[in-house]
Amino acid sequence: MTALTRTLVPGFRIRNSWIVPLLIAGACVFLVIGSVQSSLFAQQTVSGLANGGIYASLAVALVLIYRATEVINFAQGGLATFTTYIAWQLIDWGLTYWLAFAATLAIAFGGGMLVELVAIRPVERRGNILTIVIASIGLLILAEGAVGWIWGAQVKFMPSAFPARVFHVGGVAFSFQDVGTIGVSIASVFVLWLFFRFTKVGLAMRAAAVRPAAARLVGIRVSWMLSLGWGLAATLGAVSGLMAAASPSVLLQPSMMDGILIYAFAAAVLGGLESPAGAVVGGLSIGVLLNLLPTYVDWVAPALLLPVAFIVMLFVLLVKPSGLFGRTRVRKV
Amino acid sequence: MTTRLKVSVVFALLAIAVVVSAAAASSTATPGLTKTSVTIGGTFPLTGPAQLYGVIPKAENAYFQYVNAHGGVNGRKINFKYYDDGYNPAQTVPLTKKLVQQDKVFAVYGSLGTAPILATRDYLNQQKVPQVLVATGDSYWATQYKKYPWTIGFQPDYPGESRVYGQFIHNKVPQAKIGVLMQDDAYGENYYNGLVAGLGADKSKIVDVEKYDATQTDVSQQVVKLKASGANVFALFATPTQTITALVVATKIGWKPVTFINNVSASPLFMALAQKSGANVQGDITATYVYDTINNPNTATAKLYKSILAKYDAGADPNDSLNIYGVANAWTFVNALKAAGPNLTRQGLMNALESMKNVVNPFLYPGVKMNTTKTDHFLIEQQILQQYKGSAWQPFGHLFANAK
Amino acid sequence: MRSSLVARSAVIGAAALAIALAPFILSDYNRSQGADVAVFFIAILGLNIVTGYTGQISIGHGAFMAIGGYTTAILTHDHGWSELSTIPLAALVGFAAGVIVGVPALRFHGTYLALVTFAVALAVPQVAKNYSHFTGGTEGLVLPAHSGLWLYGASWTAAAILFVLAWLILRARTGRAFRAVRDSEVAAASSGVSLAVYKTVAFGVSAAFAGVAGSMYVLVNNFVNPDLFGLTLSLYILIGAVVGGLGSLWGVLVGAAFIQLLPIGLTSSHVLSSQSVPVIFGAIVILVMALVPRGAADLLRAIVSFHVRRSSNAPSP
Repeated sequence: MTALTRTLVPGFRIRNSWIVPLLIAGACVFLVIGSVQSSLFAQQTVSGLANGGIYASLAVALVLIYRATEVINFAQGGLATFTTYIAWQLIDWGLTYWLAFAATLAIAFGGGMLVELVAIRPVERRGNILTIVIASIGLLILAEGAVGWIWGAQVKFMPSAFPARVFHVGGVAFSFQDVGTIGVSIASVFVLWLFFRFTKVGLAMRAAAVRPAAARLVGIRVSWMLSLGWGLAATLGAVSGLMAAASPSVLLQPSMMDGILIYAFAAAVLGGLESPAGAVVGGLSIGVLLNLLPTYVDWVAPALLLPVAFIVMLFVLLVKPSGLFGRTRVRKV
Repeated sequence: MTTRLKVSVVFALLAIAVVVSAAAASSTATPGLTKTSVTIGGTFPLTGPAQLYGVIPKAENAYFQYVNAHGGVNGRKINFKYYDDGYNPAQTVPLTKKLVQQDKVFAVYGSLGTAPILATRDYLNQQKVPQVLVATGDSYWATQYKKYPWTIGFQPDYPGESRVYGQFIHNKVPQAKIGVLMQDDAYGENYYNGLVAGLGADKSKIVDVEKYDATQTDVSQQVVKLKASGANVFALFATPTQTITALVVATKIGWKPVTFINNVSASPLFMALAQKSGANVQGDITATYVYDTINNPNTATAKLYKSILAKYDAGADPNDSLNIYGVANAWTFVNALKAAGPNLTRQGLMNALESMKNVVNPFLYPGVKMNTTKTDHFLIEQQILQQYKGSAWQPFGHLFANAK
Repeated sequence: MRSSLVARSAVIGAAALAIALAPFILSDYNRSQGADVAVFFIAILGLNIVTGYTGQISIGHGAFMAIGGYTTAILTHDHGWSELSTIPLAALVGFAAGVIVGVPALRFHGTYLALVTFAVALAVPQVAKNYSHFTGGTEGLVLPAHSGLWLYGASWTAAAILFVLAWLILRARTGRAFRAVRDSEVAAASSGVSLAVYKTVAFGVSAAFAGVAGSMYVLVNNFVNPDLFGLTLSLYILIGAVVGGLGSLWGVLVGAAFIQLLPIGLTSSHVLSSQSVPVIFGAIVILVMALVPRGAADLLRAIVSFHVRRSSNAPSP
C-alpha cells in the first residue's frame, strides 16, 4: 500500500539548495522578458507586485509569530485592522499622519504584548498547539467584532504614507504607493534579519523558540520572549494594515484584512513558515500569479482564480513540503 | 450506586432544563400587534463582506424612532428588531424563523441580499408573513409576485437602471466602444442584461467584458485589460469596494473613458473616497432616485433628514446615500401602515403596498411617484441621470421612466 | 473501571433521552435550532475522527460539508430525488472527496496540513460558484421547506446512527490504528500500521460524516449557495471539536451546542447590542480554552470519575 501511495504522490525530495534560487531567477527572467514584450504584461506584473507587497507584509508578521511560538496566529489580520483603526482615530482627532503612524506602532507593540499576556498565556499554560490556535480564532472574532462595535461598519478614508502620484515608465504606470508598499515589506524583512542576527534580544528570542527548556537554563525569560514576539508581530501587522488601508482596493472597514489574510497565509506557507524572506517572495509571487493567470489563461474564470492559485501553490508544496525557503524538519521519535 | 444514579438524573434534568428554558411564550391574534405597538424585524449584513450596507437598518430605525416620537402610526409605536446574518443564508434562515416564531413579528421588513431573501422567501410566503420592502435590485421580487404574493421590494431594479444607461449610450454616444466590468454572478448579470436591452442594435459596440469574483477586492487586472481593449465607454457594474478600486486604477493607468457607475456604488461617500485615493471621477455618470441633500442642503426635507440622523443615528454620514435610501424606505413602510388603517392586518399591509397611486415620498427625488397595483410590484420606476462635477453629483436632463 | 463505564453510559443515556423527548416540549423554532445542533454534532464527530483520533489537523471540513450539501441539493432540486434518500450518496461522495484530499495530505504535517486544508475549504465554494449551471451559483437552489419536527427527527436520527457508527469504528482495530498514528507515527509504522492507508481512510471517513452533515445543513436551511460554506464554517467546526474535547466522543454534543446555540443565544438576549455579540463570543472562546483546554469531555470525565471515586469510598448500604 505504501508503495502504491508513493507512486500516487510525487515523492522526490529536493535536497539540493540550488533549485529554489534557480526557480526564482527563472521566474524573474520570465517576468522581465514578458514585460519588455508587452506593456499589458508589464502593467499586470507591476500591479501584481504591488498587491503582493501587501500580502507579503502581513505574511512576515505571521512568520514572526510562528518562529517565536510555533502557532499560526489567525488573529493577525484582525489585530492589524484594530491597530489601523486606532491610527484612523488618532488622525481624526487631529494628529498628523506620521505622528499617528508612530503612535500606532508603539500602541501595537504594547497591545500585542498585552494580548499575549491576557489572552494567550493563560491558554499556553495548560493547553497544546491546537488550543492556542482556537484561542487565536477566538481573538480574531473578538478583534473584528470590537472594531465594528467601537467604530461601526461605515467605510472610512485612510490617508497614505506615500503621495498618490503616478509615474510612467515605458507605458507602464507605477504609483509611489505601490513602490512604497513593496519597499516597506522588503525593509521590514531586512530589519528583522538584523534584529535576529545581531542583537542579544533577537538571539534570546530564537533560543526561546527553538529550545525553551534549555533557554530557561541559561537565564532567558522565555515567557517574556513570547510576549515580545507577539508585540513585534503586532507592530508588523500594524504596518501591513496601514499599507493596505492606503491602497485603493482596500476600504477601511472591519473586514478589510480578511481577503488579505488568506493570501498572506498562502504566502507564508509557500515561502516556508519560518522564513521572513520566503514570506516576501511568496507574497510577491502570489500577487503576480493572481494578475497574470486570468489575463493570459482564458478558462480561469474569476471564481476559479483562488482555487487555481492554490493548486499551483499545492504543486510547489508537494515538491517542497516545507515551503520554498523552509528547512525540512527532521522528526525525532 | 445512589451517587451515580443521582449524577445521571442531574445531567438529564440539566439537559431538559436547558432545552425548556428556550421554550416559546404565549401567542396573540395577529402576531406583533398590540394596541400600542407593531413589531417588525429584518436581517442585514452587519458583519462580513457586505457590512458596509449595515448602515441601512440603523437609518431605517432612526426614521421609525422619529415617527414614534411623534405618536407613532395610528397610536402604535414601531418596534424594529434587526439581526446580523453576515450575508450568509445559513444565518438568515434561522434568524428569520426566530423573528417569526420567537419575536413574533408582524412583518419581515427590509431584509437585505439577493440570496438571503431567496432563502427565506418560501418559508415566509408559506407562513403568510409579509416580506416587504426588501433590499435588492434583483427583480425577482417584482416578476414573481404571482407565486410569492407576500414578497415585495423597494428600489428600482438593476436591469431597469442599466437599461437607462444603454439607452443613453445608444442616443448620445455614437462612437461608443463599450468595456464592461461586472461581478461574476446574478448581481452583475442583472446589470449586464439591462445594458444590452437598452443598447438595442448597438449591442455589438461592447468590445470587452471583464468579470471579477465577489471575493476579489482588487480589480486592477481587469481594468488594465479593459483599457487595452480600446474601450472609450466604461460600464462599471460593481459593488462599492471594487468600484472605487476600478476608478482609481483607471486614472492611474491613464484611462479616462465615459464612465457609468451603478447607483448602489455611486454614493457620494464612495465617490469622495475614490477622489481622495486619486481617481479622476469628473464627468462620470450614474442614475439616482433619492432626494439630493448635497445640492439642496437647506430645504425642509434636507434639514429634517439630517436632524433625524443626528438625533437617532449619531455617527451616520448624511452624505452616504445608503442612509437616505434607508430613510426613504422606512417612510414607505410608515406610509403603508397609515394606509392600512387602525385595524391593522398582514393582508391589509400587503394591500396598502400593492395599491399605491402616485405616492410622493419626500425622501425621493422630486417628481418621482411610487405606483403599484396587484399586478405591478415595481414601486419606483423613475430615475434621473447625474454627472459628477467638482465634488458632487449634478442631476441633468429629466426623469427617465424605466421602459419594460 | 466497570463503574465508570456504567456512569458514562448513564450520562449518554440521559442525554439521548433528553434529545428524544425534547421535541415534544419545544417550539417549532427551537426544534429547527435543535436540528442545527445535530448538523454540527455530525460534523464535529467527523472532524474528531481525523483530528482528535488520527492527529491530522483539518480546517477544511466546511468543504466536505459543501460537497455533501450540494450533492443533496442538486439531486433533490434537479433530479427529483427525495431528500433523505440522497444522504447515503452524500456520504459516499464525501468519502471520495476525503480520500482525494487525504492522499496529497500525506505529504504534510501539523501546521502545513492545517493550512492546506484551509485552502481546500476556501477553494470548494469558489468552484461551486463557478459552475453555476449545476449549482445555482450565488442565487443558489431553493429546496422544499420542512417543519421543525421533521428536521429535528431526520437530523437527530442521522446523528444517532453516525454516533454509534463512530463508536464502533473507533473501538475496533481501525480506531486503535488511528490512535497509534496520532500518538507516534514512527512507532505505529514500526508496528506494522500502514500510515498511508489509515491516514487516508481517516480523512475519507471523516469527510463522509461531514458530507452527511452538509446534507442536513442544506435541508435545515432549505437553501444552498456558496456563502453557506464560508471560511467561518470550517473554523467554527474546529472550535466546536476542541471545546467538546478532541479524541473523545463524550463532549461532541457540548461542542455542537456551543457553536450553534451560544452565538444566537447572545443575539437574542437583548441586553447586548448586536454589534457586541462577536466580541463576547470571541472572549468566551478564549476563556474556555484557558479554563478547559481539553474540552468538555475532559470536564465530564473529571466529574464522573470524581463521583465514582466518592461512591466507591462510601460504606456499602
